[in-house]
Amino acid sequence: MFVLIFFLLGLLLIILQTTVFMINPVWNGAPDLYFILVAYLAYRHDLFRSLIVLFPLAMIFDVLSGLVLGMYPALFILGYFLLKVMSDRLPVRESFYQVPMIGVGYLLVNWLVYVCMSFAVPSMLVPWSWPIMFMRAALVVLFSFPLFRLFEFVNRRIEGKFTGFYKGRLRSGNRYRE
Amino acid sequence: MRKKGNRKPKGRFRALRLILLIGFLLTMALIFLVSTFGSQKFGPLHELLFEAAGPVQNLFARGSDALRSLKQNYVDLLSVKEENKRLTAELQECRTLSFKNREALATNTRLRKLLDFKESSDLPMVAARIIGKDPSVWFRNVIIDRGSRDGVARGMAVVNGDGIVGQVFSVSPNFSKVLLAVAPSSAMDVLLQKSRARGILKGTGSLTYELDYILKTTEVNKGDQVVTAGYGGIFPTGLPIGVVSKVVRKRRGMFQHIEVTPSVDFLTLEDLLVIEQELVIPEEKGDGLPDVP
Repeated sequence: MFVLIFFLLGLLLIILQTTVFMINPVWNGAPDLYFILVAYLAYRHDLFRSLIVLFPLAMIFDVLSGLVLGMYPALFILGYFLLKVMSDRLPVRESFYQVPMIGVGYLLVNWLVYVCMSFAVPSMLVPWSWPIMFMRAALVVLFSFPLFRLFEFVNRRIEGKFTGFYKGRLRSGNRYRE
Repeated sequence: MRKKGNRKPKGRFRALRLILLIGFLLTMALIFLVSTFGSQKFGPLHELLFEAAGPVQNLFARGSDALRSLKQNYVDLLSVKEENKRLTAELQECRTLSFKNREALATNTRLRKLLDFKESSDLPMVAARIIGKDPSVWFRNVIIDRGSRDGVARGMAVVNGDGIVGQVFSVSPNFSKVLLAVAPSSAMDVLLQKSRARGILKGTGSLTYELDYILKTTEVNKGDQVVTAGYGGIFPTGLPIGVVSKVVRKRRGMFQHIEVTPSVDFLTLEDLLVIEQELVIPEEKGDGLPDVP
């Protein structure tokens, strides 16, 4: 259930990103909502389920955006592992610090992928622009607050449903009264 | 029929009523006679009475008017809330209608332009609509709602009423991805319409093109039209691409640095035409680049 619902949520974010948030074909101000989902999964969920959600989404993104197949899976997976390591190793487990870390992770992952791609397909990319990338990182951070709340809400609902189901089957522990 | 009552009016009252009636009739007759045969002069007595009655009349008339006005205001106030609601709703409706009309007018103009373009060309074309845009900052693509089932194939030229928009990059049965002409990986064979000099037009990722391989000896001026050269058979010859907006002749090198402003407004792209012509596309290269002429 978790995988299906978060996959659908991710799909919705991708569709929003490629339609509503893209005002014109050369618009640079669309927030990379997919990265917020990547960050949420990296911070809150285990590797196996997260990858099951992220991999098909990355492939869909690959089809809808860009010219180089495999670029988005690289961005998704790299982003996921980077944020996972950052949240596990660095002493910044509070949500207050985690959200700005998403922006930092976003910049770092994008820069790494861009560097790799500029070696592989140098003439295909729009030149790197720090102001634009900073703006997009800020947008990611800005959208992280409401989206994290949404993801948390959905997650609680999913967990609540199953917890409720198991609660009904729990025994009281008093064997003599049963 | 009148019933006879038990109570009978007394004799003196009956006589008084009779006298009053006769008196009234005589007075009326007198007035009639005087007004008919009299001198008709509006005398001082009349004037005095007139002057005395006038202010009273005036006072009553004003009072009556004020009361009527007050009543009318009150009635108006009662109905004004309803009227206000109705007018607000009406205004909202009018605004919506006006917005729809403006939108319809803009769509009409856009489609008419496309239709004119389609009619002016004898090439087979299929109309398409942009349904998605590439959200990345590194590429410039759009997704259209036509695919291989509609006859769209990889490499086909995509245009609109203003000129070249791009080239079909990948196709599925119902949808296609179009590489915009402003993308850095896009390159086209073009001609400067005035000098007939041939060059390669490359996208820059922003709203300008870069025109390469134009020799310094060629006369190029700001405002010169750039059109497709038609070599390679992907883009038909003579389609508008843009206008020269900047010419730089550097000391070094053989070529000029020329900037071209697109004739197509990429900020408002919506409806497109895919030119359905037979293309001989070689096998896809490993790097996924579209074949350019």
